[in-house]
Amino acid sequence: MNERRAVTAILVPFAVALAASLGVRAAGAGADNARQIVEEAQKRTDAKSQRYEGLLQVFDAKGKVTDKRWTFERLGSHGQSKAVLRFTAPAEVKGVALLVVNHPDRASDQWMWTPAIERDRRIALQDRATRFFGTDFSFEDLEERDVDQYEYTLAGDDAVDGAACWKIQSTPRQSKSSQYTRSIVWIRKDNYAFARIENYSKNDMVRRLDYSDIRSVQGIWTARQLEMADLKRGSRTRLALDKLEYNVPLKDEDFTLQAIRRQ
Amino acid sequence: MIWRACLPLFAAALLSPPPAAAQALTQRGFADGGLFLFPQDAPSDRTRAVGDLRVRDEVFFKPSGWLQFAAGVDFRANSHDQVDDRWRLDVSDRGARRPRLALRRLSATFTRGPVTIDAGKQFIRWGKADVVTPTDRFAPRDFLDVIDTEFLPVAGVRAVAQAGADTFEAVWLPRFTPSRAPLLDQRWTVVPAAAASVPLVDGGATLPDGSQTGVRWSRVADRVEFSLSFFDGFNNLPTVTVFPVPSPSGAGPIVAVARNYPAIRTYGADAAVPTRLFTIKAEAAYFTSRQSGAAAAADNYVLYVVQVERQTGEWVFAGGYAGEAVTARRSTLTFAPDRGLTRAIVAHASYTIGPTRTIAFEGAVRQNADGVYAKAEYSQARGQHWRATIGGAAIAGRESDFLGQYRRNSHVRASLRYSF
Repeated sequence: MNERRAVTAILVPFAVALAASLGVRAAGAGADNARQIVEEAQKRTDAKSQRYEGLLQVFDAKGKVTDKRWTFERLGSHGQSKAVLRFTAPAEVKGVALLVVNHPDRASDQWMWTPAIERDRRIALQDRATRFFGTDFSFEDLEERDVDQYEYTLAGDDAVDGAACWKIQSTPRQSKSSQYTRSIVWIRKDNYAFARIENYSKNDMVRRLDYSDIRSVQGIWTARQLEMADLKRGSRTRLALDKLEYNVPLKDEDFTLQAIRRQ
Repeated sequence: MIWRACLPLFAAALLSPPPAAAQALTQRGFADGGLFLFPQDAPSDRTRAVGDLRVRDEVFFKPSGWLQFAAGVDFRANSHDQVDDRWRLDVSDRGARRPRLALRRLSATFTRGPVTIDAGKQFIRWGKADVVTPTDRFAPRDFLDVIDTEFLPVAGVRAVAQAGADTFEAVWLPRFTPSRAPLLDQRWTVVPAAAASVPLVDGGATLPDGSQTGVRWSRVADRVEFSLSFFDGFNNLPTVTVFPVPSPSGAGPIVAVARNYPAIRTYGADAAVPTRLFTIKAEAAYFTSRQSGAAAAADNYVLYVVQVERQTGEWVFAGGYAGEAVTARRSTLTFAPDRGLTRAIVAHASYTIGPTRTIAFEGAVRQNADGVYAKAEYSQARGQHWRATIGGAAIAGRESDFLGQYRRNSHVRASLRYSF
């Protein structure tokens, strides 16, 4: 696997998964064009695996809050990875699981296991714009894509929460594979951490993802809190990462359709 | 026997460290109380209000990365005599009534590389379609309420091996589990008007002794996923025989109704193909009697379903056509809801109103319009544990139609669930 392949995507789908792994070991590296910046940011988040427990708070348009929890495990890095996300709360959705198999050259494969009916169901590509289990993340937001699946343009400099950032526009090369026609990404200049992503459908911004509470975890700078806002609905989902670990021993056989059946 | 064999493995697993990753012990369950109100009497059943209580608890224990145990029980109570009154743990759950206390799950799962073996009482689901699933041969159901069913577990061994995009599966069930048919004295058993005055008694069920086997090959490709399957066993839905029996009081005729489960083989296939607009799903199975000639007790027929499925915005929709082609008809009475829902357009849809509220619809219309049902349900969660659901079903049609015969069983339903 060449280095460019290993440097995976963030862009549009800016997955929770990916997002959680976004961070940087150190500042530096004078990247001077958009693609190099993105590649560098991605390279600095490489890890063999990742695990965390997520607390989700879904705020509807009226401000009512619903809590959910999931556990997340990822094996591999970026576009070559597999991930399993399993709900642990509330009690009625305990055991519901999503398997995501990412590919370097195309959209991921996704299956959802629903224990109440003892069946798995493949999430078709055209269904990925749907919200994932009542959160403001769509199924597409939960996948990772390779950096080669996007075109990048440096759109200037900006600041997020007082931190200087590069502002980069990304556009999917295969337009039909994404619900987003383009995205704007803010990457901090001091540590290459992602600060914000705005996702557009045609000319309308439809979702915005904000990263905060960025800390170094095992040498990888990681946002411990992410907030996805659905601008059409007026709702938002805050994801706080707890018990985050990188390079934990995980087995390939735990990332299969058979494995997500196990509770 | 399976459990004794598992003991050494269990001990070995306890001695090995649990996976750092996963929780070693997980649990889930609920208590669900429901009330059904039927606005109309049925000829055989004048009860219009039925209360039902179900408590379920399931525990999953993963002592090692390669081993998992699962156990679960159901407790039931019912105001309309749908639950066996005896206080005992029913391991096999093969009776006409729901057990007071049933073993829902008791299994061990072994994983080694690409091979997974599940042994014990478990759920096995085949197929891809939703409303009618012709290849789902190891999934008997509780049909005490014909349009609001639940799956029953089966006891046996399931082995799965995954090799790249291919999955090979073999199932062996040493003991047969039938679907639970409607009770004779209740509204989901409909007696023709001409015979309404004849008392019916349960002539019992003859449960076959033999084992059941099945194999399935599935392939997941980029643009399509499909499976081929073969089943050799017994239909979990009964053929029915009726015969006169002497009346204990000597007054008038009495008819006994007995259930038999014919030996069958099925050859099945299912596929899902995502297209730009919909995912197209198709599933079919050819059912053939294992006996030949005069001994054959069941029809030979093909059941098939073609449906489209789509999620968009807050909507999830699936709808399609279920059909049947009979290749050898034998004059048997059957209780066959799967065939009863064929030659029909079937659909369901759900809409997520918000993080805690959903609304769902389901319906079927026979192509000759002789039978139709429509269900609607509104559900709202409160906090981390509670969910209230209200809904109803409207059923209409001709007496001669499978759906239409239940036209006096339209109802409304309310339930409250506490999940833990």
